[in-house]
Formats: sequence, structure tokens, C-alpha cells
Amino acid sequence: MRAFIRFFSSVKLAIILLIILAVASILGTLIPQGRSAEEYAARYGQISGLFIRLQLTGLYHSVWYLAILGLFALNIIVCTLTRLGPKWRRAVRPALGFEAKGVGAMKVRDKIKKNSASAASLAEVSRALGRARYKVRSETRDGRTSVLGRKRIWGIFGSDAVHLGLLVIIAGGIFSGLTGSRTELSLKEGQTLAVPGAGFNLRLDKFSTELYPDGNVKDWKSALTVLESGRPVLEKTIEVNHPLQHRGYRFYQSSYGWNWDNPALLIEVRKKSDAAYLETLKLKVGERVPLDDPAGTTVGVARFIPDFVLGEGNAPETRSLQPNNPAVLVEGFTGAEKIFSGWVFANYPDMDQMHKTRESDLTFKLKSYDAGQFSVVEATRDKGVPLIWLGCVLLMAGLVLAFYWPTWEIRAVLEDVQNKTDVTLGGLASKNREAFQAEFESVAASLRSSK
Amino acid sequence: MEATLFTIVFILYILSAFFYLGFAFTKKKAAAGIGSVLAWSGLALHTAALIVRTVESGHAPFTNMYESLSFLAWASVLAFVLIDRKFRIPKIGPYLMLVAVGLVALASSPLMPKDATPLVPALQSYWLWLHVSVTLLGEAFFAVAFITSIMYLAAKTPEKKAEMDSVSYRCVAVGFPLFTLGGLVFGMVWAYKAWGTYWSWDPKEVWSLITWFVFALYLHTRIVMGWKGKRSAIIAIIGFLAALFTYFGVNYLLAGLHSYA
Repeated sequence: MRAFIRFFSSVKLAIILLIILAVASILGTLIPQGRSAEEYAARYGQISGLFIRLQLTGLYHSVWYLAILGLFALNIIVCTLTRLGPKWRRAVRPALGFEAKGVGAMKVRDKIKKNSASAASLAEVSRALGRARYKVRSETRDGRTSVLGRKRIWGIFGSDAVHLGLLVIIAGGIFSGLTGSRTELSLKEGQTLAVPGAGFNLRLDKFSTELYPDGNVKDWKSALTVLESGRPVLEKTIEVNHPLQHRGYRFYQSSYGWNWDNPALLIEVRKKSDAAYLETLKLKVGERVPLDDPAGTTVGVARFIPDFVLGEGNAPETRSLQPNNPAVLVEGFTGAEKIFSGWVFANYPDMDQMHKTRESDLTFKLKSYDAGQFSVVEATRDKGVPLIWLGCVLLMAGLVLAFYWPTWEIRAVLEDVQNKTDVTLGGLASKNREAFQAEFESVAASLRSSK
Repeated sequence: MEATLFTIVFILYILSAFFYLGFAFTKKKAAAGIGSVLAWSGLALHTAALIVRTVESGHAPFTNMYESLSFLAWASVLAFVLIDRKFRIPKIGPYLMLVAVGLVALASSPLMPKDATPLVPALQSYWLWLHVSVTLLGEAFFAVAFITSIMYLAAKTPEKKAEMDSVSYRCVAVGFPLFTLGGLVFGMVWAYKAWGTYWSWDPKEVWSLITWFVFALYLHTRIVMGWKGKRSAIIAIIGFLAALFTYFGVNYLLAGLHSYA
């Protein structure tokens, strides 16, 4: 047990762990995290299997990284606890009974002879320290009086507050990892979905995208209603940076998309031979409408693809769910016989590659493709978060204490020498030694000049 | 208006660096005095330029590389004039003002688009102000610690070494709490508001944690183990380089959530 404590209370261990954590963390930023095995194989070849086995591909959640963090936490706990007891005693019940020899050997020191007896000199020393705002304690034993004056004693606990803050943050992180949940809810306008495990429902009343004049997205907004047993209890329009909170859940505007299953299409039909001819067809995928055409042609749409690309084997597929390259597969019929078919692109209206089995001078343009948008709302629950904020407050308070609340201490030993007093002064500062030195000298000077 | 101010600021910083260099070679106090006045005037006009930028764009003046470089230059000069006011060390003037000139020059380079673009949804938050300004201010103090650490290594006399060591530590003592507050704490708060999670192990987050580890190492070796001087200076230099990589390198070399500026 003693060996265990000695091992984990060492600052050297802390330093080694800090270095290991830093190096491991760097490694995790060099290897992309959380990708698929194929991607690693393509990127690193043979060695990718080793990377995956060593958990370098999910490094920050790997057993070994967490184990180092665990050792680090243990190190902080033992380090802090073993130092806390003596510090607490120093703050609350400081030991007096100084030796003139010891005090006279401190880094900052002075010796003064007073022409009064030690009782009167004690009053003077206490006054001089009190004027400089030192809290004074004294004790007289065997004709020797020890005086301890201190200010900002709580500064010595700054580093402990920082360490406690870190531990609370780590605890919060563990709690988040164990209890936190994130679910994406895709909602169409008017749709209601049950929030998984929450016991209440969420309805999207309206989704809108606001644009800047230059066409860039300014904001996405989802007007949400929380329903409990079917009754609306809370309404809020969420946007990026402004989530909705309800019963431990938070709802974030995460992304959005289009419901491409059945967009309302608008297709313009023209004839090469007849410039005056123009017909606009309103239809959906799978529908066929007759043209105003003596040949009795009907036109239908067989497929719609929002982001057209030719995939494997030249098969048309969509690259994404964004309308980057919308295309429709238009088909023409006379009776039951298919007379032409081909892809029509919204962004490339002049690209004509109709496969014709019979003469037709029709041309098509995809004018619009109106699909209902859906909003992706991320529902999160994370009970570790309050601990994180508590840890942050402790951390910052500790840093301020440690750096800007320096504990200063002035000790004095008063010895009676034939009704006169030898005063030995010594000083100790955790920080700002130059400023302390100046204050120490002014205290000594005021003591020297006092009657 | 902003461009004119920015040009004048550039010239003032160059002149300041020039006079400080003069001081470094001739040891004439008057040169350092002029350098200081020029640095203060440059800082005042730079502040005005940042305010004009803010008013014209309608958002915080650090949302793209040009803006944030300019802000970092401003913060570095601010850190320098404050440190110089407290510790009277015009010696670091030439190097620090040269860094400021370098940052402004980099910001003015044609590679950096200068147009104020409207904010993407994720950046529309007052946490942008808190997170970025406090972090960059902390990094500016790391920059001063970096320069004094290099000057420590280059110094010949024990007095100068002791002075540089002490100033370097003081800069870390200011920079570390600021960086912790702005970079880590405010960063976590904002991430929680915007992304729904306070920590995502995004490369920029990890690199700011690494920077934090390095300075934690600096403080522990120095305060608990009594390391001073050369080893402290080397750790402070590594710490600043980590901060620099967090600020600059991550954007260009590693992909992640922080792909704004």
C-alpha cells in the first residue's frame, strides 16, 4: 500500500503521463478516426490491420488511452490527497514555536533590536503586520514568542482546486460516455415523432432555410412543439446555436434534407419543328400524361435522381441527397409502345441523349423538382454535462487562486534580552517574490521606527 | 477606411520594430522610447481598424484567416506593451514587433481573402467573441513567452538569463489561465450549444488539449521539480509551437469540425 501511494503520488509519474497523453493524442490527429476498414486499407495498405487491432483508429475511446487517462486520474487523486492534509493543517492549525535560528535563515529575513520588553514588542510586531493586512497568530513559550503573520492563505489550495476540477471533468466525461445518448430525428413538416425513451413526442410545425442576399445559408429554423400525451406543452423555434430543452433532453438543429421519394416535377416540352409549341407538364414519378399532339404521344417520368452520377457498370445513381445534379428519366409512348427514353438534366438543359425508336422532335427541360424538405433534429441527453461545468468552474477558480492569490507569510521570533527584545524576521512567498520582498522591507522598517 | 487604417498600422509596426532594433544595437534608451510610442500608436489605430471592421461586417473581427491573423497581431502587440509596461523589457521589442509585422504581412498577403463574408449559421453566437478573443489573447502571451525563452537561450549573461526566465514564466502565468478559459472552457460551452456535445475529439480540440498538456508540464516541472532556465525555456518554446499548430496548422493539414478559419 505504501509503495502504491509512493508510486502514484510522484510528480514524475504525472510528467511521464502528460508526455504519453500528449504523444498519443497527436497520433490520433494524424490517423483519421472512426473510418471504415476499407478506407484504412486503401490509405495504409498492409499495416492498416495492425492499426485497427491496436485501436489506433478509435484511439480516444481505446482501452489503452482510457487506461492512461485512468492512471492520470489516480495520480492526481493520490498526489492531491497526500498533500492536502499537511496543507489543511498549515491553513487552519499552523504550528508556531519557531526557532530564531530557523527564521533567521529564511531567504527573506531581517533582525531588529527593540528597546522594550517582549510583551510590548509583540504588540508592535502585531500592529505592524496588521497594518500590512496580515492575519496574526502568536504563542509565547519558555520566554520565546513566535509570531506568524499571513495573508491570502487560501491561495495554497489553488492547485488542489485545479486538480479537483480536472477530476470532476473526467468524472463528467465518464458519466457522459456511460449515460449520454444521441438520436437523429428526421421530421417532415407536420410530422410527429416519439423521442426514443423519453416518453414524449416532438412535432415539426415548420422548417425554413434563410438565405443571405448572396445566396449563402444564413440559418436553418425548425419550429418545434413538444407533445405530452398528445397535448402541446412547449413550443420553440430552434436554430443552430439555439437548441430546445425539455426534461433533460436537448434538441439541436443538426441538418436537413429533401424527401426525394416523390417530388412534384415540372417539365417543359418543346418541338424542334414548331417554335411556337410549348407545353408544361406537371407530374410525379410513375405518372404519364398525354401531350397535346396529333400523334397521341404520352409522356411519363420513370425515375428522379437528385445528384446524378454514373456508378459501377454505368448505372445511374445518386451521389448524395443534395440536389446538386437533378435528373429525370423521361419516357414517351404511343399507346403501349415506348418510342423514346432518356435522361434530362436540370443543370444541363442542352444535353440531349434521347434513345429514340421512332422519329420524334420533342425536347424536354426539367424546370423544377419540388420535394418536401425535412429537418434533422438531434435529440441528446447527457447527464454528465453539469459535472463538466462544475469542473470548469473549479479549474478556473483554482488557476486564479494559484496564480493571482499568492500566500505571503512573515514569521517573527521575539527573545527577551535584559528587558530589550531581539526580533528575528523571516518571510516566505509562494509567488510575486519581488513585491513580497518590498512589502517585507516596509514592515521591517515600520517596526524599526516604531516607538 | 479599414484598409487605410490597416496600412498605417502596418507602417507604424514596421517603424516600431525599426526603432527597437536601433535600441538593440545602440543601447540608446531614446530609441526604445520612440519604439514604444510607435507600438502604442499602432495598437490604438489597430484597435480602431478592428472596430471599423466589426461595424462594417456586423460580426466579430476574427471569422476568417485574414481577420484572425490581424487579431492575433493586435493581441500580441497588446501583450507586449502590457508586459513592457510592467517589467520594462524593451529588449524583446524588436523581436516581438517583427512577429507582429510578420503576422500583419501574412494577413495582407494576396492568399488571404479579405472580404467580410456573412457568418455561417454555426458561428452566429456571442460565444464567437468569448471563445476566439480570449484564446488568441492567451496565445499572444504564449508568443511573448516564446520570444523571451529564445532570448533566454541566446543570452550570454546570468542577469539577462534570469530576467528572461522570469518574464517568460510571468507570460505563461497569464497565458495559461486565458488559454484554458478561452480555448478549453469557452470552447466546450460553445460546442455544447452549437453541436450538442462539449467534446468531440476534433483535431483542433485535441491540439488545444496537447498545448494545454505541454504548459501543464511546464508548470509542474518548474514549480514542483524546480526546473528553471534552459529546460523551462525549451518546454515553453514547444508549448508555443503546439499553440501555433493548433491555431494555424490544424486548419491546413487536418480536417475537422473547426473548418471555419
